[in-house]
Amino acid sequence: MKKLLILLIVVAFSVTVNAQFTKATLKASGLTCSMCSKAVKVALEKVDFVQEVKVDIKSQDYVLVFKQSGHVEFDALSKAVEDAGFSVASLKASGNFADVKAAKDSHAKVAGLNIHFLNGTDETLTGEKTITIVDKNFLSAKEFKKYANTTKHTCVQTGVSGDCCTKEGIAAHERVYHVII
Amino acid sequence: MKIQRKINLLLFVIILSIAAKAQPGPGQQAMEIALPSLNGDTLKLSSLKGKIVLLDFWASWCGPCRISNKHMMKLYAKYKSQGFEIFGVSVDNSEKDWKKAVQKDKITWLQVNDREMGEASTAMKWNVSALPTSYLINKEGKLVGMDLEGKDLEAAVKDLLSK
Repeated sequence: MKKLLILLIVVAFSVTVNAQFTKATLKASGLTCSMCSKAVKVALEKVDFVQEVKVDIKSQDYVLVFKQSGHVEFDALSKAVEDAGFSVASLKASGNFADVKAAKDSHAKVAGLNIHFLNGTDETLTGEKTITIVDKNFLSAKEFKKYANTTKHTCVQTGVSGDCCTKEGIAAHERVYHVII
Repeated sequence: MKIQRKINLLLFVIILSIAAKAQPGPGQQAMEIALPSLNGDTLKLSSLKGKIVLLDFWASWCGPCRISNKHMMKLYAKYKSQGFEIFGVSVDNSEKDWKKAVQKDKITWLQVNDREMGEASTAMKWNVSALPTSYLINKEGKLVGMDLEGKDLEAAVKDLLSK
């Protein structure tokens, strides 16, 4: 019985840890230049799963390293940037993937997050991969429109699971991140 | 008064060392910078030893830097003849944008352009995380102040020139 329990735990664990986000590159934009103050850097450093924020002033990128133990939630990053008076112009997140199915227009649970791959690949993702978040609040309105038009699923507009997603086993009204790979 | 000033300086150093762990701080020797100047020749920061130097990281796209240029202009005119120099490091990726801004702001002090991208860039080595970032460097090439502005900057320049 005990062995069975351990086995169950191991199985459950290996299912949930199919990926881990380790770092990200973020661009911020606003009415003034984000690199002309430390507000965005300081705000990002306060996010609980962020270990370190480096600024590449020439490429105007914030390079984030995530804590190994932390649960990465991309909305927390956009909220931090917005609270600092700016908005996210681009967010690319990298992590170690293990057998993640990423077919075009399909959903997957990645590192505890619901991910909807707008483009996609027939291969399963393994090793270090980078995804770009294309939800509203993570890029310009114009770019969002471009990506949103690539799918008929309604969840792309709201960022929340709808009928399209529940068919694939995601509970209703859960946060779904839309990404391209 | 003198003690008060020393305490202030000490506090400043402590705060700075806490706030900017990875960033070069006062007391440290300035790292060498060797970058192309306006005419294309490489200019070295170390060539200015013996002068009081304001090292200024800026960019043409940085609004606050452009305003700061106006203030530096006055300071430069007043103290240049006494051994004060400004070493401007533009992080512009476009050489054209840099030169245009230099012309527009009528900058007459030394200018170099940080052209390398990525980890090798001078701005990365100096851990510049916002613009403008400036350092005051004494005659021995040591960093003595950071991000000083207005009256504080002028007072520090005056003080260093008299030493």
